[in-house]
Amino acid sequence: MSIVILDGMERENNTSSMFERVLKENLEKTFYFKLRDMNIAPCSCCESCSYTTPGKCVVNDDAHEILKTIAKSDTVILLSPIRFGGYSSCLKKIVDKFMLLILPSYRLKKGYLLHPARYGKKILIGIGVAEDVLKEQEENFEKLVEHNAHNLQYPYKTHILRSSEEIEKAEDEVNSILKVVHEG
Amino acid sequence: MTIKKILILNGSSRKKGTSFSFSRTIKTLCEDTGNSAEIIHVIDYFKGKEELHQLKELMLQSDIIAMVAPLYSDTLSYYDIWFLERLVSEYSHELRGKDFFAIGQCGFPDITRNEPLLNTCRFFAEEVGMRWLGGLSYGGGAMINGAFLEDLGKKGEKIILGFKFALEDVLQGHQISSKSQELITVEIPKILQWPLVAFLNYHTRKKARENGNIDYKRRAYLE
Repeated sequence: MSIVILDGMERENNTSSMFERVLKENLEKTFYFKLRDMNIAPCSCCESCSYTTPGKCVVNDDAHEILKTIAKSDTVILLSPIRFGGYSSCLKKIVDKFMLLILPSYRLKKGYLLHPARYGKKILIGIGVAEDVLKEQEENFEKLVEHNAHNLQYPYKTHILRSSEEIEKAEDEVNSILKVVHEG
Repeated sequence: MTIKKILILNGSSRKKGTSFSFSRTIKTLCEDTGNSAEIIHVIDYFKGKEELHQLKELMLQSDIIAMVAPLYSDTLSYYDIWFLERLVSEYSHELRGKDFFAIGQCGFPDITRNEPLLNTCRFFAEEVGMRWLGGLSYGGGAMINGAFLEDLGKKGEKIILGFKFALEDVLQGHQISSKSQELITVEIPKILQWPLVAFLNYHTRKKARENGNIDYKRRAYLE
């Protein structure tokens, strides 16, 4: 059982620290990436990863290390402040490279056109940290995680953490996430 | 009627792709009505080719701002979100009270895929105190691949007409009506879905052959 956390929070915060601590205490194979400290170039949609170097980005940056770890893991957790009802740019810089996790070919599933997954099925968990955002933005965040999971063809879960809530309550949320991971 | 100016943000990294083709048509249609429009490329600001502080004047001169963007992993791209974050932190005052609308375009035909992108544009507008005039969703942008709409026959004519009606609405400060969305929506009958997949996969294999019979299914990060 291995888990990858993609932390798209922009600065040091209690939620990230608690996440890292609880996950590392409970799961031996926890790989925690603080994206704000990493050099990840934007995806320029050049298509090299489809036909020139299949499954691999031609840009030399820290994304390779993250994608290698995801390819070998069972679960991917996205952690982000809810920004305009979606992900922060800090998280989005790696999510744009999720194209590398799918093939350039096509399949039809329940009437939807999709790209097959390159590395099989994983669990996707999206965690949005809400600070003074409307319910509508939380719902859009959940919809975005759902769309990502749909395209990757992964089962998924979403959680909304309110930054005003006590850290103990957030810890309960992390433990419920761990339960999902253990149950596969 | 007062002459208005639209500032069009091309949210694609490709300066001659489908988002640019749409932006170009919006600009032309706007100028045809005696109003003015200017296209800027978000990627130029991200890469530092253009200075962010120069935007201030452009925004002050504009009455309406439009985001025209491709769908990247189900919403706006990293650099588009970066750009909106910068606008919120540095230019909220200049943007307040202006009108904003968006056009999202995705590769797949299903237009519901663009919903998170358009909602994100709306939430951005609301956060800076702009008036959200609505969004249009185009499915199948990859098939257009940057072609000019006037070169696409009947399909192009319908999209141009859809944009024309949308512009009439926004130039009057009205919400974009559903008529525009209906005109630009391409319905693919269920019976044609499987032949479409077969056609697209034929092209995938052809491209792989053209690139030295490359194994496009390679699991590069497990090697």
